[in-house]
Amino acid sequence: MKADPRDVFTGTYYIDGDVAMAYGALAAGCKFLGGYPITPSTEAAEAFARIAPRAGARFIQMEDELGSIASVLGASWAGQKAMTITSGPSYSLMMENISLGAAMEIPFIIINIQRAGPSTGVPTCTGQADVMQSRWGGNGDYEIIALAPDSPQEGFEFAVKAFNLAERYRCPVMLMSDECVGHMTEKVVVPEASKIDIEPRRFYKGPADAYLPYKRDPDLVSPIVKAGDGYGIYITGLSHDEKGHPVLESGNSYDLEHARALNRKSTDQYLVDKIRKNRDKIIEIQEENTEDADVVVVSYGISSRVAYRAVEQARQEGYKVGTLRLITVWPFPEERIRELAGRVKGFVVPEINYGQIVFEVDRCAEGRANVVLVPHGGASVHQPEDIYAAIRQLLESKKRYENVFEFRTILERKVFGGGMLKNRS
Amino acid sequence: MDKILEALSKGIEKSGIGRKRVCLVTDILYDPEVLETLKIDLFHTSRGRTIPFATGMKLANPKLKPVVIMGDMATLGGNHFVHACRRNMDLLVICANHFVYRRVEGESASGDYDTVSYSPYLLFENPLNIPHIARSCGSVYTARWTALHTDELTRSISHGLKKKGLSVIDVISPPAELLDFYYRHSEIRNGEDTIHTGIEEEKKIIVGEFLERERPTFIESYNRQLEEVLGDQFVKIEV
Amino acid sequence: MLEIRFAGFGGQGIIRSGIIVGRAASIYDNKYSTMNQAFGPEARGGACSSQLLISDKKILYPYITRSDYLVAMSQEGYSKFESEVKDDGVLIIDDDLVNTDSTKKVLKIPSTRIAEELGHRIFANVVMLGYVIRVTKAVSLEAMRKAIPESVPERFVDKNLKAFEKGYEYA
Repeated sequence: MKADPRDVFTGTYYIDGDVAMAYGALAAGCKFLGGYPITPSTEAAEAFARIAPRAGARFIQMEDELGSIASVLGASWAGQKAMTITSGPSYSLMMENISLGAAMEIPFIIINIQRAGPSTGVPTCTGQADVMQSRWGGNGDYEIIALAPDSPQEGFEFAVKAFNLAERYRCPVMLMSDECVGHMTEKVVVPEASKIDIEPRRFYKGPADAYLPYKRDPDLVSPIVKAGDGYGIYITGLSHDEKGHPVLESGNSYDLEHARALNRKSTDQYLVDKIRKNRDKIIEIQEENTEDADVVVVSYGISSRVAYRAVEQARQEGYKVGTLRLITVWPFPEERIRELAGRVKGFVVPEINYGQIVFEVDRCAEGRANVVLVPHGGASVHQPEDIYAAIRQLLESKKRYENVFEFRTILERKVFGGGMLKNRS
Repeated sequence: MDKILEALSKGIEKSGIGRKRVCLVTDILYDPEVLETLKIDLFHTSRGRTIPFATGMKLANPKLKPVVIMGDMATLGGNHFVHACRRNMDLLVICANHFVYRRVEGESASGDYDTVSYSPYLLFENPLNIPHIARSCGSVYTARWTALHTDELTRSISHGLKKKGLSVIDVISPPAELLDFYYRHSEIRNGEDTIHTGIEEEKKIIVGEFLERERPTFIESYNRQLEEVLGDQFVKIEV
Repeated sequence: MLEIRFAGFGGQGIIRSGIIVGRAASIYDNKYSTMNQAFGPEARGGACSSQLLISDKKILYPYITRSDYLVAMSQEGYSKFESEVKDDGVLIIDDDLVNTDSTKKVLKIPSTRIAEELGHRIFANVVMLGYVIRVTKAVSLEAMRKAIPESVPERFVDKNLKAFEKGYEYA
């Protein structure tokens, strides 16, 4: 399906990432934004609020973040594509209902323009420290998809992609941007509607009396209906069976006998399986020069653009350095990292946190390659020289590190903490 | 069947708005088998977040009439209640009021599972005066009944379903064995000023229809304001 | 690659200067450009700067390494970024607002005073832009003439274009 021309504001713009993401969401057919303003994501919500009424989309500033995310779930059940835009502590406040949304299997997206630090942190400055929270933030087991754009143009494109994935897999999709990309202004081309592919909601088409809200197609995703269609659906955040009815009696799959006797089997496992078993279709990475690389720099979001400078320098000096950029941070490209670990000397992982994705890389490296973290406390980006130095150190080291080796940046060696590097933005 | 659900079912019938349009959004666990007989959609949300969930629903499809049944009223999610009243969001909010925190061992009227007491040494806290909050925050229709005022409750629900804007019905729904006690200790005073509807010890529980007024709903105000500013460019929310 | 830093106070149009030139470059001159902004904790009156990269090739690393030009409209902005300028780079300052002791090449224009003569000091940044574009040749004159009307409120388009020409002529 192609995008609706009424939703697509075709043109060439010079705008920041926040605004580009709002354009992208609208182009994807988003019709509802329930939000509560928080720096540095406000520009995105402002842009949406300004443009949305012209595309028949609605913006409401809710009373708080808990309300924002709950309204998004409600709007999506009413049949519209919906999202919220947030950052920092507001994202934390949404976790309960992200888990609910995952359990109800309702498509929605969250744009998170990450700020620095824990708690209130540094509101106007960048960070990448919500990556693990996206994956593990809500209670219970479920899988989500997360995307990391590295430019305003990708902000636009990934917003469309995020909605497509959410509709395709009936799961929350996080657009994990950061303040740098959010506030970076570049040329953004919004193509014509006929050039934008849209994943339509997979509405149920069978006979009405045979409908079961969580009966799955072979790809483990179930068709959906919307509130008011007359199906009399029962949708709950309690663990439920195919009908959607709570499974309280059986302790899920642990007590299979009992569950079978009641013929009420929890569908919880599908919340992870539908993503894990479809991961080859979901995962997207961008690789350069990894074929003969001794070192592979694994990065995502703004860090990949910063790392580029270091990689360029190392390659000019004759070092065999490749790059692997995570377009989908989650699910994580485990197989590819395993493959590479068998033949490279090591991985360098620069991220604007004190180590999150690096542990995924280390897990997949399985001790066969060194893994070096270039940490950063946030508020600005890495110095390319630090990433370069980490590449050099890895190439020169003869030792096999047992765990993640934390590279001490040049400044960190002088000052404790080292998070607040020279303010470069 | 639960008294409130029973009244809801009858109220939908009486109002004639059609079961398809009604979506029940609640944080109370209801028996799915009972719901099947009601033939309405039910969304069991995280506790306290029923009103914003219903708000999103209403804005995404204004043809729906979401009905919220809130549990331990206005403690979890009280802020949402206040703001839904202020916006005059087009919802019917039913408060299954068993007095704040006053959970008693035994069967609850608003759910057929056992509740345990968080107040083993009895209560000293005061319940909220829900009709008064609703009125001062901007709701357009406010009533209170006990769960045994079945006819009155049905009538109020039917009225709330048809009424544009935010209607609030406070239903005194203590554990089943106390239902009769509260019914006997209530006094109908229609049109009573909500300043006098607080629930106090040793005093009668005032029930009745307290408030009826007209205010533009959120969607009406939204349409009017944006149309004024944006003119032809504005795509109206069709109600 | 051309690297330009604009620095001044919030409210002086520092960020907007970056946007106007960036828009002229990437939309009307068909080059690549990246603009990044930095505010102080409070937007108005606090220190504020924007960095602009213009290139014929796709810009990967999006920040200034050493700037070719520093456009300073406050003393604080000047002191903070003077050292970032390349040894053969150029400082462009509003000489009513900034005192300089730099050993690097310095160009001066009383942009705020010129703007006041035009009616309001709010146009100072556009006067400055006229000067900057003539000196740096970062983007074409035509591109700027197209980018300005798109970047300012409609009722101030003429004034801004006039301010731009004034600055351009001053150089």
